[in-house]
Amino acid sequence: MSNDRYHTVGKSILRRGAKERLTGNPIFCADMEPENALYLKAVRSRHPHAGILGIDVSSAMSVPGVVQVFTAKDIPGKNLMGIINKDQPLLAEDKVRSLADPVALVAARTPGAADLAAAAVSVDYDPLPAVFDPEEAMAQDAPQIHAKGNVMVQKKVCRGDVTAAFDKAHTIIEKTYRTSAIEHTYLEPDAGIGFPDEDGTLVIYASTQNPHYDHKEVVSLLGVEDHAVRIIQAATGGGFGSKLDMNVQGFIGLALYHLKQPVRYVYTREEAFLATAKRHPFVIHMKTGADETGRITAMQMKAVCNTGAYGSYGIAVASRAAVHATGPYAIDNVNLECTAVYTNHPFCGAMRGFGTPQMALAHESQMDLHARALNMDPLEIRVLNGVKKGTVTATGQVLTDSVGFQDCLTAVQPEYEKAMKGWLSEPTPAYIRRGVGIGGMWYGIGNTGVQNPSTARVAMDREGQVTLFTGCADIGQGSTTVLSQIAGEALGLDAMDIHVVVADTKYTTNAGATSASRQTYISGNAVKQAADKLADVLLTEAVNYLKIRKSDLRLENGRVFDSRHPEKQVAFSRLAPRILDKGGELSWQGYFDPETVPLHPDTGEGIPYSTYAFACHAACVEVDVLTGETSVCRVIAAHDVGKAIHPENVIGQICGGVAMGVGFALMEEFVPGETISMNDYHIPTAADMPCVIPIIVEASEPSGPFGAKGVGEPALIPTAPAIINAVTHALGKRIYALPASLERVLDASIASGHFNNCYQES
Amino acid sequence: MTQTRIPVQFILNGKKTAVDILPEQSALQVIRDELGMKGTKEGCGIGECGACTIEVNGQAVNACLMFGVQLDGCRVMTVEGLAEDGRLHPVQEKFLAGHAVQCGFCTPGLLMSTHALLGENPEPDDHQIVQAISGNICRCTGYQQIFSSVRAACGQSDQGSVRENQDSKEERC
Repeated sequence: MSNDRYHTVGKSILRRGAKERLTGNPIFCADMEPENALYLKAVRSRHPHAGILGIDVSSAMSVPGVVQVFTAKDIPGKNLMGIINKDQPLLAEDKVRSLADPVALVAARTPGAADLAAAAVSVDYDPLPAVFDPEEAMAQDAPQIHAKGNVMVQKKVCRGDVTAAFDKAHTIIEKTYRTSAIEHTYLEPDAGIGFPDEDGTLVIYASTQNPHYDHKEVVSLLGVEDHAVRIIQAATGGGFGSKLDMNVQGFIGLALYHLKQPVRYVYTREEAFLATAKRHPFVIHMKTGADETGRITAMQMKAVCNTGAYGSYGIAVASRAAVHATGPYAIDNVNLECTAVYTNHPFCGAMRGFGTPQMALAHESQMDLHARALNMDPLEIRVLNGVKKGTVTATGQVLTDSVGFQDCLTAVQPEYEKAMKGWLSEPTPAYIRRGVGIGGMWYGIGNTGVQNPSTARVAMDREGQVTLFTGCADIGQGSTTVLSQIAGEALGLDAMDIHVVVADTKYTTNAGATSASRQTYISGNAVKQAADKLADVLLTEAVNYLKIRKSDLRLENGRVFDSRHPEKQVAFSRLAPRILDKGGELSWQGYFDPETVPLHPDTGEGIPYSTYAFACHAACVEVDVLTGETSVCRVIAAHDVGKAIHPENVIGQICGGVAMGVGFALMEEFVPGETISMNDYHIPTAADMPCVIPIIVEASEPSGPFGAKGVGEPALIPTAPAIINAVTHALGKRIYALPASLERVLDASIASGHFNNCYQES
Repeated sequence: MTQTRIPVQFILNGKKTAVDILPEQSALQVIRDELGMKGTKEGCGIGECGACTIEVNGQAVNACLMFGVQLDGCRVMTVEGLAEDGRLHPVQEKFLAGHAVQCGFCTPGLLMSTHALLGENPEPDDHQIVQAISGNICRCTGYQQIFSSVRAACGQSDQGSVRENQDSKEERC
């Protein structure tokens, strides 16, 4: 849709909050220093699995500068956290389940005293056998990590007759894929500060993706009334899913509750690595059958994912993995199952994509394997199988609108063909082999088959000034800018003319988590609804004032005017007092919850999402067959976002997603006990980045604000499979485990004979 | 027990600065904790991420790896020194216009690396730009809009930046 019809939607306006960040304003929690703040430090388990026989804090209390040492018995409310299933104590009571489990919390006057005291807390542990492999943890005699057993959840999606379809299949491919634990590595280590307000309210500033959830959780931990706690989201230096959990908020709340004086807790990078969620490592067994034309007729998938010591978002990861296992392809017969298992691994939670990036490695590798078996082009087999309007998904949902997958395939085709024909045949040194690979993806916007509403308020004051109140945490993706644009569009105002109050539980209402690529679509709709209500009140009053029928009136630049005679107009500032004086309302709430149907527990039948984003990436790589080094040269990234409210923000998400995908594909692996700091964990630098060619596809979503869906997670999902398919294309040998590190690529180079051929030639 | 403090003097953002510091304090701790200037960020504390990049005698350095006492007698610039009288520095302007800021935690370090690069070499080629900013980790942007903004700050075209970036990157691969 042309942007000309819009006032601000579709325009890449300057971002809200960018100037503060460019000038180094003290807006992050670590930059805030309330006077006389005490320093907090958690004492963490040194055992992956152990009973706690006793905790002695007497030596710690005698360290000069120590004010208090808290243990589980000091928690006045419910000592359990978790957004989906509550299984994680703030401070361990009877046992620890991972190396990171906190057992005590020190509050001290200096950071040095806090560290000394933390080291002086003496815990009497009774070590228990530990288990780290999820498949081992499913055995009958495996150590039990939680009382309810080690299998946290199993999600299934079944449709059609898989056995019959495999019997009839022309080609069957069956493989096992493995992915690594990933550390989010947001640039800002977790941090928070707190202080008691004049009226006794416990105020907590936090680096968070979900302030309203934090509020509920702190209230529950402390056993206090809602109004006793106020959470304000400070500037948040990236999250990618990890700042959906309670990282420092609970500790700050506990110390504030007892000490009634300012406190701060800033994780070191090492503590952020140790103590926060990771991406779930997956083992995926996938079997697919195709007919002689290349149409995929059946898929059987069994995945086990390691949720570590606690659930966090693991249940959502398992259900999303099962629902997304088919990829963006129409497959009539499916039997899909994902099991999330507790182990003594550090806990795993949400990370950009919730299991979908792991699944994409499997389904995109399978697509290429089928293409090869039938001597088809990888793009062609995706066009043949790709979803379109009318496709019935694995959960039985009929895709009716905004199904832009085929458009994404078409969008990458010219660059893909150019690379296949031209770039591949350019001369290279003998030790360099080039490859081109494709990756496709789909991603359901919002939470899976459960309610996940957002609310927002748009209010005008007597002078005609509009303020947007939203609980939506902007963690760097730019949601505050985009939501201002949506409100602005509805009211005919420049986005920057709207005041914003963001993510402060005293003033904003719940917008849900900044996760699941849901904020533009869900909070965007809530904001639009509130703004539309306000606009209607203004129009109604303008009818009365201008004596012109409503259908002829338009809102623009803070006034209402007659579209036929623009000189007939009235300013908002004139309408506002008239409305208020008549007892009218200028403050309006919006609410939106996507239309979903809960999934049947046995078959997975239902409507998990009301809309999906689609994408296709093509990657061009060069592999050094003598060293195993893979350079990603180009990524062409086409994304169906419904409508780009802010195109440069969309491009920013796409390029950032590609970078994270390069890391997932080639270099990132978190190994508990070995990965301690950024010295041991490498993420892509500017020098590792390919040229990214973002292509925005807009298959308008009728239920989206101005047609918009989402892009945050989709940006990452197709990159790794595209790269792996390109490496396979270069070497003629496939890699089934991520990351495709130097060692794994070199192994593939040796196994394929390229290493020897090149070595002998030289 | 009072620890001995060491007097240190340097020029910070054009102003003479004198501060008594502890011998073990890093330049980053001196700037953030002693002088209370919070623009310079700490992302890792071990010189891996570049969030704490400052300029010392015209060179970009990781403030977390430098002792505070090493600042003595130096010309030091932090992100707070870029804007003048509330007017953004051209490098900041280009980052703003180029949509190079997402979460913003890496931004001050990247600005300082860019500023130091331009001080040493006003017309860097694309390879030199990548070299100059590859010590600054950004997890949000994928670097492309940053790269284009740095190019623009060097007086190179930022029109159709993605395409131009593509061409220049192609030369490198």
